[in-house]
Amino acid sequence: MSPLVLQGIASGVVTGCVYALIAISLVIVYKSSDVINFAGGEMVMLGGYIGMFALIGLGLPYLLIFPFAAVAIFAVGALFDRLVLTRTRHLALPGQSALVAMVIGTVGLSYVIKGAVRVVPYTEDVHRLPPISAGTPIFIGPVVLQQQDVAIVLAAIVIMVALWAFFSFTMAGKALRATSQNPRAASLVGIPVPLMSMTAWGLAAALAGVAGVLLAPKLLLTPDSGIIVILALAAAIIGGFTSLPGCVAGGILLGVVQNLIGVFVSSRAISLAPFLVIMLVLLVRPQGLFAGKATAKKV
Amino acid sequence: MKKLLLAAAMSAAIVANAQAADPGITDNEITIGLFAPMSGPLTSFGLDALQAAKMWYEEANKKGGIHGRKIKVITEDDKCSPNDVVAVVKKLVTVDKVFMVHGGSCTAAAVAAQEFVTREKVPHVMLNASGDNAVIPPTRYVFGAFGGTQRAVGATIAEFAVKELKGKRIALIAHDDDYGVANAATVKAVAKRLGAEVVAIESISPRITDVTAPMLNIRAANPDVIISTCYPAPAVLVAQKYAEFGMTKIPLAQAVQGIPVPAGFAKNVGNDAAFASFYYGSPLNDLTDGPKQQKWIAMYKQYYPDRTPSAFMTYGLPSAMAITRALEKAGRNLTRESFIDALETVDFDSEVVAGPIAFAKDRRDAHRASIFVKYDGKNGHTRMPGVYLWDGKEGM
Repeated sequence: MSPLVLQGIASGVVTGCVYALIAISLVIVYKSSDVINFAGGEMVMLGGYIGMFALIGLGLPYLLIFPFAAVAIFAVGALFDRLVLTRTRHLALPGQSALVAMVIGTVGLSYVIKGAVRVVPYTEDVHRLPPISAGTPIFIGPVVLQQQDVAIVLAAIVIMVALWAFFSFTMAGKALRATSQNPRAASLVGIPVPLMSMTAWGLAAALAGVAGVLLAPKLLLTPDSGIIVILALAAAIIGGFTSLPGCVAGGILLGVVQNLIGVFVSSRAISLAPFLVIMLVLLVRPQGLFAGKATAKKV
Repeated sequence: MKKLLLAAAMSAAIVANAQAADPGITDNEITIGLFAPMSGPLTSFGLDALQAAKMWYEEANKKGGIHGRKIKVITEDDKCSPNDVVAVVKKLVTVDKVFMVHGGSCTAAAVAAQEFVTREKVPHVMLNASGDNAVIPPTRYVFGAFGGTQRAVGATIAEFAVKELKGKRIALIAHDDDYGVANAATVKAVAKRLGAEVVAIESISPRITDVTAPMLNIRAANPDVIISTCYPAPAVLVAQKYAEFGMTKIPLAQAVQGIPVPAGFAKNVGNDAAFASFYYGSPLNDLTDGPKQQKWIAMYKQYYPDRTPSAFMTYGLPSAMAITRALEKAGRNLTRESFIDALETVDFDSEVVAGPIAFAKDRRDAHRASIFVKYDGKNGHTRMPGVYLWDGKEGM
């Protein structure tokens, strides 16, 4: 395989890992509330800025800015669920679904976050977080990776494993899974469904915030950085909107495909790549590559 | 004799009517509507440039004004938004009844006013926006590009790459928008004229988040000079990948739009290796804080002692200079049309930008020159010899 292709694949895996984290965040929200979180990208952006503030403004050590950003964005997600979504659900008329209103609520949240960030003068200029790990690049055959890239992949793997362990082995994780599968049944066995919904939103938001801190050294932070949610949505659709492992595969696949399209077709086609892959998946396997049987539900 | 007196009286009446027909002019004042982003994320592009223009008008007023008329300025904030520019220009013209409008720091916004000013026959001189789409092809009422159009940027950077950097195999990374297309057209034309080959043109979205594939393609093309005309965020990504992929032996020339503040650019790139052979273009006649710019910086500090001017401050001067020159040339019997006719004849050295400021009947882009600077990523800015000029035709 040519060095060009190998480099494209390696770099695609790195960016794909970050897409995967954001996609997991979207899927956690979707599985818990059937809502697509259009503010996911802005949560990523806000996480990046909070990480930058923690590192440069407060002088925290680099490793601590991750939990700092996670806690801050957790609060944003949890409060949004408690203050907005819960009320929106209760405002729905009998027999009608509040889903559309809730989705519009997430769009509103994206504008609120972006507007709030724009008010801060610091965000007028473009910024980048210093790399997690600088130093000599790592060569794997003809492929060159920065230490930063390896750190991103490792961090993403650790987070995904931690999430898997959380959902598989902890009572809270099992309760969240039960709530997402059948809220009524979960309530009947004593699981506090509103608290689980708030926790799911907080957890998803925290994950998006951490993804923002991981991304901020590689990309540039601007209030418009939230546009990356489109790539995460594509990753989630490719993998399957109900499958967390599917998100991981979808994200990595998307990162690699983008680069290969740029190399073999045209750089102009890079921005088209996510949508082309989405269309292909929807045609061939609309539930996603790793989800179960296709189902349809009236909203 | 009676007929002569009658003719003189009628002429005077016609002139008086013409004067009365054009708003914004009185016996002792000319009112100019001045607008730029004075708030929001793009304030740094416009506020200091606007204040520099106001400063120039004040200097003219101190010398007695223009043919006995002082310049009165009404300022508005356009936030670099097309909708706001249109609203602001309409307000200045219809409510404030200005003689002309002078403003626009962001091209998309500045261009939005073109339809209105053309319909209302109001002269619009841009402040520091390049305004490519509104000045090429030229229309009667809109003048701009005091920093240069993207065609000029592409032509001059290509000439620098071939003549100074001895490039024979040029790679270009540009955006897939109108400006990128304009850059590519003039880069190709100039390279061809000078006997160089463009071995790769990578067109990328301004919103791209990963330039791995385009930079791999460029590396595979084996250029001996790389030209980037990307905007600030993608330009940083390009410089990062350029260093990461070990391409730093190949000179990288970055156009002015991608490096508004060199120190900030270097900080964002975060890799000293990217600046081993790095150059950037500028429309100014010197480094931003170079000796030729000092008199303007000193003048600005007199007027605004509490403000540290941004890198874009002096960009506001050439347009104001062009306006006062045209007002002088148009004479006491000033009308909008006579002002435009006079503006079409200006051709002068502003002592701010690298080349002459000039218009003509078929030309509305004021400036077509660039200088180039070698930058080491720290405090080392070395002005490269020469001023590079686009002829206005190549690549069109």
